[in-house]
Amino acid sequence: MSMLSVRGLTRRFGGLTAVDNVSFDVYEGTIHAIIGPNGAGKSTAFNLLTGFDTPDAGEVRFEGTRVTGLRPHRVTRLGIARTFQNTQLFDSMSVLENVLVGTHWHTKTGFLRAALHLPGVRAEERDSRELARHHLRLVSLEHLADVPARDLPHGQRRLLEIARALATRPRLLLLDEPAAGLNSAETGQLAGTLYRIRDMGVTIVIVEHDMGLVMDVSDEVMVLNEGAKIAEGPPRLIQKDPAVIEAYLGGDGGA
Amino acid sequence: MGRRHPTRSRVMAHAGLVAGIVLLALPLVLGDLYLVRIFTLVGINLVMVTGLSLLFGYAGQISLGHAAFFGLGAYTSGFLTRLGWPWVAGLLAGVLVAAAGGLLLALPSLRLKGHYLAMATLGFGEIALFFFTEAESLTGGSDGLREIPAAAIGGFSFDTPTLKYALVWATAALVLLLAANVVRLRPGRALRAIHGSELGAQACGIDTVRIKTQVFVISAGLAGLAGVLYAHYIGFVSPSTFTLNLSLILVAMVALGGMGSLSGAVAGTVLLTLLPYADAIIPGLSRDTVAFLQDWESDIHGLVLILVMLFMPGGIAGLGRQLAVRLRRTSRTAEGGAS
Ligand SMILES: Nc1ncnc2c1ncn2[C@@H]1O[C@H](COP(=O)(O)OP(=O)(O)O)[C@@H](O)[C@H]1O
Ligand SMILES: [Mg+2]
Repeated sequence: MSMLSVRGLTRRFGGLTAVDNVSFDVYEGTIHAIIGPNGAGKSTAFNLLTGFDTPDAGEVRFEGTRVTGLRPHRVTRLGIARTFQNTQLFDSMSVLENVLVGTHWHTKTGFLRAALHLPGVRAEERDSRELARHHLRLVSLEHLADVPARDLPHGQRRLLEIARALATRPRLLLLDEPAAGLNSAETGQLAGTLYRIRDMGVTIVIVEHDMGLVMDVSDEVMVLNEGAKIAEGPPRLIQKDPAVIEAYLGGDGGA
Repeated sequence: MGRRHPTRSRVMAHAGLVAGIVLLALPLVLGDLYLVRIFTLVGINLVMVTGLSLLFGYAGQISLGHAAFFGLGAYTSGFLTRLGWPWVAGLLAGVLVAAAGGLLLALPSLRLKGHYLAMATLGFGEIALFFFTEAESLTGGSDGLREIPAAAIGGFSFDTPTLKYALVWATAALVLLLAANVVRLRPGRALRAIHGSELGAQACGIDTVRIKTQVFVISAGLAGLAGVLYAHYIGFVSPSTFTLNLSLILVAMVALGGMGSLSGAVAGTVLLTLLPYADAIIPGLSRDTVAFLQDWESDIHGLVLILVMLFMPGGIAGLGRQLAVRLRRTSRTAEGGAS
């Protein structure tokens, strides 16, 4: 059985069908890529999978549980984490604090316990910090733990968002263009990071324009064009698919 | 380097604490009752601004209606203690009524953003003011409630200016201590996260509506607590205290201090509360200057708010941080030069 099952997913904005009757499955332990020209509906699809947007039709199930209709924090608590195409970091907070927020839902110190510094608060805080540092190490940002997030260059902001997402303890991780703004050396490192995350037991869905990276890391590729799925399969076959070549060469989108 | 950081900030915190205690003892040592009175007001405002700092300074949710919660606390406790309720019961009731008012307002309006939240809270403040003025059987109408008894615990009455001063500042210190714990731990990070990016916070599994509601209720409750302290300190409450003007001053105190900084909020509160009483602090200030400050008080607050937003968005806390960075840099260069 698939880990994530998407059936007939549809989202319209006025006259535009941004996601058009899309169905696909993601299997546990794989890296699954979604590609397609700009405006193909990839980010909209991510929003529909994570509760940030509601589909007009269709259904998303994660490990058998219905995801559609849940609010975003509920989806996260089910075990689906995500990053954003436009990074959504907490700029005034330090790099470490950003990742600490990722531990929020599976820790329990509330206003009263914190105010009174009840027993257990200190231990939980120490454990959270240790966990957060562990995730920072995974994306090679530990040396910047105390730097304000706003001072990070673009590429490292994307890595920080990945670390923060991992701190929510996901079983499925959705990454929206993680290589955007990275130079080729950094993109190479990112591939290594993705493998390490997968080997930790986290399944990955990645939206990416960098074809080198996509062909390199993914087990399965789905191609969207103007909201509709036009192809899917292993990367070797997708590269030769006439419909895909047509979409990329004929369309006005850049990849 | 990672080790030196907390030690340094701990030294700073201790220095701040000592400075605070010395400052607080000063009016008592000098035996200057005028100073004692003014500083009691500072303490009351601190309780209120601490709550607003959590809501506005940390979570980024504006309230232009905090005077209403201050009033709810003051009237509730004033009314009940005049009926013979013990002060502690009046205090609890005052805080609860204010917090309930906060919940009532938070439930529908926290889904609103920016200007809409500002309008909703402003409207709530105006409705409360209307209620304070018109519900004469409860509030005494525009004449207000007179002869509110002084705070008392058991048989002990806080009925001298010095005792009132001590009670207010003990409360303010406690509230600040609890809030300082909150902001540096998990709930404080959630508040700042919501301010930084609501989408990011939701993606971290934070129920943003729930946390915003909680902090709104806490903030309203603290304003209610300040209202209780105020009612039993002055002994008299009337609607003219709980106006939009007060709500705006509170926002100005948080903004002047710096968003997301409790110590900044304290500084902003002390400065803006003392402003109209500058003559008591700065000896030799001319009568005309004082009269000018008092006449133009609310305009000065408005101006401060605009200037802070335009020229020092980090507020006093931001200036402090910049200064600290610069000092560290200079000392590092000096060390480098010496070795
Ligand atoms: N909130 C929205 N309102 C209206 N149109 C939208 C909205 N979000 C996305 N769109 C449109 O939907 C289409 C798909 O966008 P998007 O999912 O961001 O594409 P991609 O991520 O593949 O580049 C685009 O034409 C875009 O303009
Ligand atoms: Mg996109």
